[in-house]
Amino acid sequence: MKKLSLVLMLLLGSLATMLAQRTITGKVVDQSSKEALIGASVFVKGTSAGTVTDVDGTYSVSAPANATTLVISYTGYTTREVELGTSNVVEVELEAGVNINEVVVVGYGTQQRRDITGTISSIKGSDLASSPVQSFDQALQGRAAGVNVSLPNGVLNNPPVFRIRGINSINLSSFPLIVLDGVPTFTGDGGNNAANNVLSNINPNDIESIEILKDAAAAAIYGSRASAGVVLITTKRGKEGKTKISYDGWAGWTSAARRFDLLNAEQYVGYKNEAARNANLPDQFFLETIDGKTVDTDWYDYVLQTGLSHNHGLSFSGGSSGTTYFLSLGYSNQEGMIVSNTFERLSGRLSLDHKLGKKVKIGTNMGYTTNFNAAPSTGSLPGQSFGTSGLGRIPLVTAPNIPAYNADGSYNIASNNQPGRYRNLQQVGFVNPVPIIELNSFTSEAKQLQAAVFVDVNLFKGLTYRTQYGVDQLSLENISFQTPVHGDGFGTNGAATNIVNSLDRWNWQHLLTYDFSLAEKHNFSFLVGNEQQRTTSSSWGASRTVIGDPFFTTYQGNFTTIVPAGNGQGENYLLSYFGRLNYDFKKIFLMTANLRQDEYSAFAPGKKAGIFWGASAGLTLSELDFWKNSLGNAINFFRIRGSYGEVGNNNGIGDFASLSIYGSGLYGANPTTGFAQAGNTNLSWETSRKTDIGINFGLLEDRLTGEITYFQNDIDGLILNSPQAPSKGIPGNSIQTNIGSMRNTGWEFGLTGTILKKAKFSWTSNFNIAFMQNEVTALAAGNTDIFTATAGLETANITRVGESIGSLYVVPTDGVDPATGRRVFINAKGERILYSHVVPSGQSRWTVQGTGATAAAVTVAADGKIFGPVLPTFFGAWDNTFRFHGIDLNVQVQYSGGNYVYNGTKAGLRDQRFWNNQVEVLTRWQKDGDVTNIPRPVLGDNVSNGSAFPISENVEKGDFMRIRNITLGYTLPKSLTSKINVSNIRVYGTANNAFLFTQYTGTDPEVSTNGNSNGAPGVDRNSVPMARTISVGLNVGF
Amino acid sequence: MKNSIQFIQKTGIALAFIGGTFIFSGCNSEELLNPVPITSISDVSAFATPARILNQVNGLYNNIQSGQLYGGRFQVYHDIRGEEFLNETTNGVTGFQTWNHTLVASANEVNNLWNQVYFTINNCNLFIEGVEANKAILGNDALANNYIAEARFIRGLCYYTLLTLYSRPFADGNGSKLGVPLRLKGEKSDGGNDLARATVAETYAKVLEDLNFAETNLPANYSSALLNTTRAHKNTAIALKTRVYLSMQRYADVITEANKLVPTAAPFKAASGVAHELQADITKTFAAPYTTTESIFSMPFTDVDLPGTQNGLGSYYNPGPRGIGDFSLNLTAAGIINNPAFNAADARKKMVTVVGTKTYLNKFALGPQHLDYAPVIRYAEILLNAAEAIARTSGVNDRAIALLNAVRKRSDASKTFAAADFADTNAFISALLLERRMELLGEGFRSLDCTRLLLPIPGKANVATILPTQPDYIWPIPQGELIANKLCLPNN
Repeated sequence: MKKLSLVLMLLLGSLATMLAQRTITGKVVDQSSKEALIGASVFVKGTSAGTVTDVDGTYSVSAPANATTLVISYTGYTTREVELGTSNVVEVELEAGVNINEVVVVGYGTQQRRDITGTISSIKGSDLASSPVQSFDQALQGRAAGVNVSLPNGVLNNPPVFRIRGINSINLSSFPLIVLDGVPTFTGDGGNNAANNVLSNINPNDIESIEILKDAAAAAIYGSRASAGVVLITTKRGKEGKTKISYDGWAGWTSAARRFDLLNAEQYVGYKNEAARNANLPDQFFLETIDGKTVDTDWYDYVLQTGLSHNHGLSFSGGSSGTTYFLSLGYSNQEGMIVSNTFERLSGRLSLDHKLGKKVKIGTNMGYTTNFNAAPSTGSLPGQSFGTSGLGRIPLVTAPNIPAYNADGSYNIASNNQPGRYRNLQQVGFVNPVPIIELNSFTSEAKQLQAAVFVDVNLFKGLTYRTQYGVDQLSLENISFQTPVHGDGFGTNGAATNIVNSLDRWNWQHLLTYDFSLAEKHNFSFLVGNEQQRTTSSSWGASRTVIGDPFFTTYQGNFTTIVPAGNGQGENYLLSYFGRLNYDFKKIFLMTANLRQDEYSAFAPGKKAGIFWGASAGLTLSELDFWKNSLGNAINFFRIRGSYGEVGNNNGIGDFASLSIYGSGLYGANPTTGFAQAGNTNLSWETSRKTDIGINFGLLEDRLTGEITYFQNDIDGLILNSPQAPSKGIPGNSIQTNIGSMRNTGWEFGLTGTILKKAKFSWTSNFNIAFMQNEVTALAAGNTDIFTATAGLETANITRVGESIGSLYVVPTDGVDPATGRRVFINAKGERILYSHVVPSGQSRWTVQGTGATAAAVTVAADGKIFGPVLPTFFGAWDNTFRFHGIDLNVQVQYSGGNYVYNGTKAGLRDQRFWNNQVEVLTRWQKDGDVTNIPRPVLGDNVSNGSAFPISENVEKGDFMRIRNITLGYTLPKSLTSKINVSNIRVYGTANNAFLFTQYTGTDPEVSTNGNSNGAPGVDRNSVPMARTISVGLNVGF
Repeated sequence: MKNSIQFIQKTGIALAFIGGTFIFSGCNSEELLNPVPITSISDVSAFATPARILNQVNGLYNNIQSGQLYGGRFQVYHDIRGEEFLNETTNGVTGFQTWNHTLVASANEVNNLWNQVYFTINNCNLFIEGVEANKAILGNDALANNYIAEARFIRGLCYYTLLTLYSRPFADGNGSKLGVPLRLKGEKSDGGNDLARATVAETYAKVLEDLNFAETNLPANYSSALLNTTRAHKNTAIALKTRVYLSMQRYADVITEANKLVPTAAPFKAASGVAHELQADITKTFAAPYTTTESIFSMPFTDVDLPGTQNGLGSYYNPGPRGIGDFSLNLTAAGIINNPAFNAADARKKMVTVVGTKTYLNKFALGPQHLDYAPVIRYAEILLNAAEAIARTSGVNDRAIALLNAVRKRSDASKTFAAADFADTNAFISALLLERRMELLGEGFRSLDCTRLLLPIPGKANVATILPTQPDYIWPIPQGELIANKLCLPNN
């Protein structure tokens, strides 16, 4: 591609007049590392004269005597123009940065950024490598306009919520397709209670660049899998030259960013006994004294910690003229903010490129990684919110007036598997967290081989054939042990479960590309290709219960019973043919067209094939003479572009989703067969029609570059779990049907620029913001609303035509009745209904405010109202880098808002069962005339504060601004490092999730209890808080 | 020119090469694009062999054996609605809201039980249609009718199950109130969500139609005691009919059905079909092998077929480590366990376990693996059903007293009821209802025995008594049904 730019520039310079010559020499180096840049292009502006730098970074170019300017460019660096003085020696420093001329990886190939008319965001691997994260996707927060990445909470290696331009499916996955060096890889959580984001098997240190394909034109080449966007990861490869060795390491300290202020023992006893008296009960709760001290337990103390992490990466790269290599080793060992939550990764990666003669190149890249995740039951992964052993919940509900340990040092646990009550007259906790943390264990270990070999054959000038065969083999071993002593293992007298899950994929591609130009104006690039991908999965395991001897702690020990667990087998296959045409006319008018046919095995017979396409065009006004002559000095680059395409989605569909299936089971000792899945003989692709219109511009010689994009994504044929009346008895009460439709529209703004640039000081800045709206436009079964529950127990989300997906559906409330202290509910008729939990027999708990007349019970079904959207309507980030001498400072500000969050955790924090409460409850109603939003407490009341069903009292705005990242680094002077034969040394410190500014009263408005759920986003229910990590790091290059 | 020839040659070679790989790739793609699942069976072959059809029969039982249904929770719900138990764990997942009558339409038990019942009903409907269409595979019409009768027995039981929780009692308006949607055809595809609720009387009529068909077509018995306990035979259908008629207050019909199982005088032992009779020791009924002739119908469990977490009867009633102990016995005067009529010497009163100040029911003692069979119909119930029906139709007579005595004296030899003990029929009925609480404690009868008679559901602890006029007297119709079935009306 460098050669291509060379040719291009030669062409542009062809009108120059050749005059007397002078020879200019010099060296091109990296501005910060001062390392030689090999192969940088050096041109004399306005002429055809040019060369490239050699292995030492030096060059020599003949220039006409009247030449005034040198243009120096290098992939991944900002192109510089240097005024020629009298000296014939010109030393040039190039700054690494986003360069509109750089080469960008696109689907099945590369393109120059300047030639791209689709919408692609690029992120350099070096921006991610030093983040104290487990997987690269976690570090993509705020890196690209329209790409919303948020961590669900502080559980280590919990997959982030990753949405490119909003939610693009209802029932299938909205997680983008992740392609590693051309091979689509596995995503999702492969773990048990220990989260195991399988993308953590990619060492962030090995990533050269990440491209996010957002619009149809860019993504359509991935056809069926492009609906939610595509993320292309390119790993590092070697460059010709002497061996470069680099070491990157960091160490970090992770702790909870926020926690709740809960009642202490004395407040608890006083408050809860008031609630007991209000329920016509005698006092139930009493202070306890052990060793002369009043028991006052902060259960957070047993659950949260400051975790220590360290991460190391060592890489070697280099090569001779025919062969280049890159070899890397990585080790990461991280502790979370939750006790006994750990992550460990050992990774190795090798890539080789070798030229066989002039026409043939062969190469490979191979990565092998093992990771090991351990966690207690955090109750913070999707589906776990209401687990009584969840460590997100235990510190909030457990009474503070009982100890974790008895005076004799034993665990405070009772024979009924609850924490011991001491003097309290009733239950005071679900589970004592200490024994389950100490005695239970949950681990998830992954081993993953991601490897590919490829051959490039240059058949003819411009005609290249490539075939690549890739494999992705992921093996997950999930092991759990639950003690018989206490907690979830108590009911089965101990339980040990081992499950192995193997995922095997091969992917074979054939690509033929042909690039040529006609009349030096019309540039064509053709691609035709074939791709096949087959994935098989097999999981098996068993659960052993009733422990033979409390001594045993593993599956292999002695237990009396065993039942199968986690068994499954599946397979799927994708067969694709595709083509692409890129055309440009003198770089003024550019266009790209894609066409792809995919056939996917999971769809119904006759419905397996889908045809997808996309086209984009751009007009570079700044290449036109009128522009050059008028605006050219101020606006050096300006392009209008647009794209349209139809892409598909099959991500997340079951392998046998279209079939009607009978499953099997047991009735006593007899085998059984029964109806298990209602198939759909018409099941086919979801399709998205994506429209994009935008401009790209460069101001002041690209000192400021930017883009503005409007997009619209109309998704049709959404595969919905078409709701079936439960009385029909269809398994799961649903049939997957292509019936829904939805629209995402929005604006994206991105600006990158050098705000200040002095000799010793610079300030570069990258700003992005996206505005987005989602509207569901059609649903199944006569537009029947879809309700999505949190952990199967609390339904706060609704998907309804005309509303944003997953909006909140709750009963409106309006504070507390000042006369009676009861919660005011507003029913469907607009009546103000009061609730009293304890009433004399025969009386209704529901009465009309003021009159006291009996009222019908308020229900969500009858009286619910929509609050939405829960998806942020705007979000983005502002990333600033300041450099002063060797010091660099990066500050990344993230902002998001316009959405609602269902703070279900608040319902728990105000629940009037034995549960502990937040200190705000002390402002409760006590007497006639009190104006407060905390009702009169009545022991056992689970309705007034939203535990029985969700209420608007717990709906909050999700607006926030966060200082996502602060990094302060110092690069030692070259003069110092060269003395010890080191090419560069940088030390830095980072604060991740440093500050949060929000009105939200939960721990964090980004908490997403339901993870990547499309139907139930924006719910915060009993999750552990977010983490904050402070780290220090070191980069050394030899 | 030479260049173009070279170009064509090279392109040709390239295309041949690429074409070759494409052809290679295409050769087995048809097979790969149409994978066949290897761990489940396609609907088209679900009736392909007699053995597979039998597996489906067992599958229907497996559906009602679900922990959500007769594997445990159905019985638990009816018991904890009443006054016999106190909640110990305030856990919404294990019946807390059923216990304190704060259920709403979105509550889990309300939805889960309904879903499991209708899932079973649909499986029955699909099975009945499938067997009709595949009688040739069985090659035996009698066997096909046996199987269909089993499916209709299960379907009848399912509709009756729904009536006991989601509809007003038959006695309230003589069946004129809303029953449940009657689904009588197999459902496998989209559409047809909307179906109004039949009346209570119409729903009962369908239950009886199914049970009458079952009685006619079921076998008299099976080859083993295990099968006689775990699969429906003629007497199972008859036994269930006594319960159904009792719920409808059609006492003469209760007697008609009971007479098929209960001789007019002791010894009480079914004369035809499986020879049901009381066991001398009641505890034998609740111990392995659980297949005495007293157990007319029970849900079997094995080490690899358990009721599931938080479902088993033992999980609710056994204290740790044998269970979770969600419910202890109510030791106040309201609870049966301390009722003065319940003699200390009574074998049934001994089926408890004491932990500290709490007393727990010990009828389903196995744990933490809840292997105890879950009882659905016992012969003792039939005797009590008969006694009540006789007393209500003919007053207190010798047969009614003999039936009551049969149940009482088996567990408490010290007490013999005599006509003189009862001032009037009401006194006998009171004693009989008390006897039912002693005999059937933990087997899912308490709230049913209140609602069928339109009696208040007594309160306990700080939970108030629920009057028959209150909405909480029955369960709400589940929110899931109300949303998807536009014709289904709610309960209040």
